[in-house]
Amino acid sequence: MRSFRVGFALIIAGGIRLSLRLLGKGATALPGKIAVKIAPRFIREMASGCDIITVTGTNGKTTTTHMISESLRKSGYYVATNVSGANLSSGIATTFAQELRPVRRAVSKGLKPVYVLEIDEAAFAKVAGDLSPKVCVVTNLFRDQLDRFGELLYTRDCIEKGLDMTDALILLNADDSMIAALRKNRESRTEFYGVDERSMTRNNVTDTVASRALPASSDAEYCLSCKRKYEYGARSFGHFGTYSCSSCGDTRQEPQQSVYFDPTKSSSDPGLPLVFQGKDYSVEGVLPIPGSHNIYNAAAAFAACTSFGKIIGDPKLSPIQVAAALSEVQPAFGRMEKIRVGDKSFCILLVKNPVGLDRALSMVASASDADGMYLLLNSNIADGTDVSWIWDVDFESKTMPDKLYVSGERFGDMLLRLIYSGVDTNQLRYASMSEAFVLFEEALSACEPGKCLYVLPNYTSMLALRKFLVGKYRLKDFWR
Amino acid sequence: MSKYSLKICHLYPDLLNLYGDRGNILALSYRAGLRDIDTEIVALSMGQSFEKDQYDIVFFGGGQDAEQKMIRRDLVTVKGEAVKEAVEEGMVFLCICGGYQMMGHYYQEQDGEKIDCLGALNVYTEARKQRFIGNTEYRCELPINDPIIYGFENHSGRTYLGDNVRPLAKVVYGKGNNGEDGTEGAVYKNVIASYSHGSLLPKNPELCDYILTLALKRRFGEDFTLKPADNQFEEIARKEFDSCKK
Repeated sequence: MRSFRVGFALIIAGGIRLSLRLLGKGATALPGKIAVKIAPRFIREMASGCDIITVTGTNGKTTTTHMISESLRKSGYYVATNVSGANLSSGIATTFAQELRPVRRAVSKGLKPVYVLEIDEAAFAKVAGDLSPKVCVVTNLFRDQLDRFGELLYTRDCIEKGLDMTDALILLNADDSMIAALRKNRESRTEFYGVDERSMTRNNVTDTVASRALPASSDAEYCLSCKRKYEYGARSFGHFGTYSCSSCGDTRQEPQQSVYFDPTKSSSDPGLPLVFQGKDYSVEGVLPIPGSHNIYNAAAAFAACTSFGKIIGDPKLSPIQVAAALSEVQPAFGRMEKIRVGDKSFCILLVKNPVGLDRALSMVASASDADGMYLLLNSNIADGTDVSWIWDVDFESKTMPDKLYVSGERFGDMLLRLIYSGVDTNQLRYASMSEAFVLFEEALSACEPGKCLYVLPNYTSMLALRKFLVGKYRLKDFWR
Repeated sequence: MSKYSLKICHLYPDLLNLYGDRGNILALSYRAGLRDIDTEIVALSMGQSFEKDQYDIVFFGGGQDAEQKMIRRDLVTVKGEAVKEAVEEGMVFLCICGGYQMMGHYYQEQDGEKIDCLGALNVYTEARKQRFIGNTEYRCELPINDPIIYGFENHSGRTYLGDNVRPLAKVVYGKGNNGEDGTEGAVYKNVIASYSHGSLLPKNPELCDYILTLALKRRFGEDFTLKPADNQFEEIARKEFDSCKK
């Protein structure tokens, strides 16, 4: 039974949401924030009795959540998920308030409701207990806006705290040594997903001499418990791979569910064939959204859907059906969505931190349709005010498109980053943020027919760009 | 092959690889390249000894607490004496944040525990709860034409300078060494230390050239002069930074 307080909070939250929408605002966090103020037990009561899957980790939360949601929808579920990626407790509360009626309606139509929620790592420590999820997916741990979140181990502690407040099945990335360590003391309810070792290559195989002289920054070269350098059998990217520590014997755990693909094929172009493998099955599918990091997101989403199916006893979430549904997922807002304009297209890849930018650059470098790359860098609070991290990214080993464009409030920093990586200044066009849209038009018109302009903004520059594009090309606004 | 070349030693690049400090190496290498000077970068990590006659510039950056703990021991026991001798002999060092702190006598944790550091610089650091985080502007005390240096600081340590150590700069905006005495960074012989990330050198090309010149004079004689370079894009970045730093 819902308490009076929570009922009252729901009415107020509904009112705030309605007013904000009438004003043309997104209303993604404020209604929930107020609801929790009025009723501190708001999330706990609203979540009670719901089937919930959570996704946390530094990178890939939004895409993984999106992949799980879409796969479950295709399998006949009504999926409630974060309102436009708002992943703090206020956003979670807003989601519950907003989904109350749609969920009821779905149930009356015979659909099974499920909540798939991406949760910020620090917020996870606070809300995981209130949610009592069935499945907790942990994606990875990469440095991310250290001026805001502090150091990586703190982030991991937050995730650990959250996990211990639930009795959920925990799905961990086997290839990330820092995430895999979360299994300790939770072995009985932990399973792993990852990439098949045969699909990994040695890191830096294609790197140029320049980058070998100064290898890219990695987050976990050493075993944190005994300070010995990890040995790797094979690596995929960053610190992901088949690590082992010769001192304490800590080693990569064989994943119960893994993804195999042909490592000689490019993951930047659409349709990379994947094989989803488990103990007693092996099913085929394709990578729904290009990019090597998305292979991990797909592996996580696959594991989440099949494990969830097993827990609630739904035969429709069999490996073969999940693989089919997952293969058809379309990209989410700002994450590799390709938008056609006449005979060419542009594609937005949100880049928020070093590994995100590294993966995006690598993706553009091997995309056969790339004809131009546009980088935008802002330094507002939501972006992190420190832009130093662009120097941690290995630009040196990436092949850049011939036409390069730079803007954002900190375009000067990005300009230097490109020039110091060896880019010819004649290839560069730049503009301050106030002229970012003019430069976008210029870049798009310079793009050859049939080709694609890749746009890599960070968070607030993406919001600004998105707003412009919504008006200009009549794109769907993100909160609708 | 150029007539001139410099060897840059990068200390613990696999552990201290945060806040873009590797941009300093890229800047040294790029700006040396503009003058047809080759650079060779030598990575030196755990267990490897410091060959003090081998390098022209030593770069020592910052890292996260867990990683810095790992290195302190190696720094003191494996490389310690050789690094100290090199400092006394005038080898050029650039030390940023954690690297700066570790060159000092000790680092005192918030709980009062003192962690011995190298003691190559007469400075010491005490941790405080409040972290200094934000954009910075300093007036550099070294003889460079445009003395304004820009950066980004992120540290909870407060560093205090002892005898024989001069501040690198005066604080114009930000906190600097300790937020109390208006100083930022340290200079001792040819050691230059600072709290500035950013990265420091790309946006401060004159400081970068100053460091290159120190090393080149040491290797090729006092008469060596660095050819001027076009700083057009660096100036754009500086202007852009100045307009949005606060």
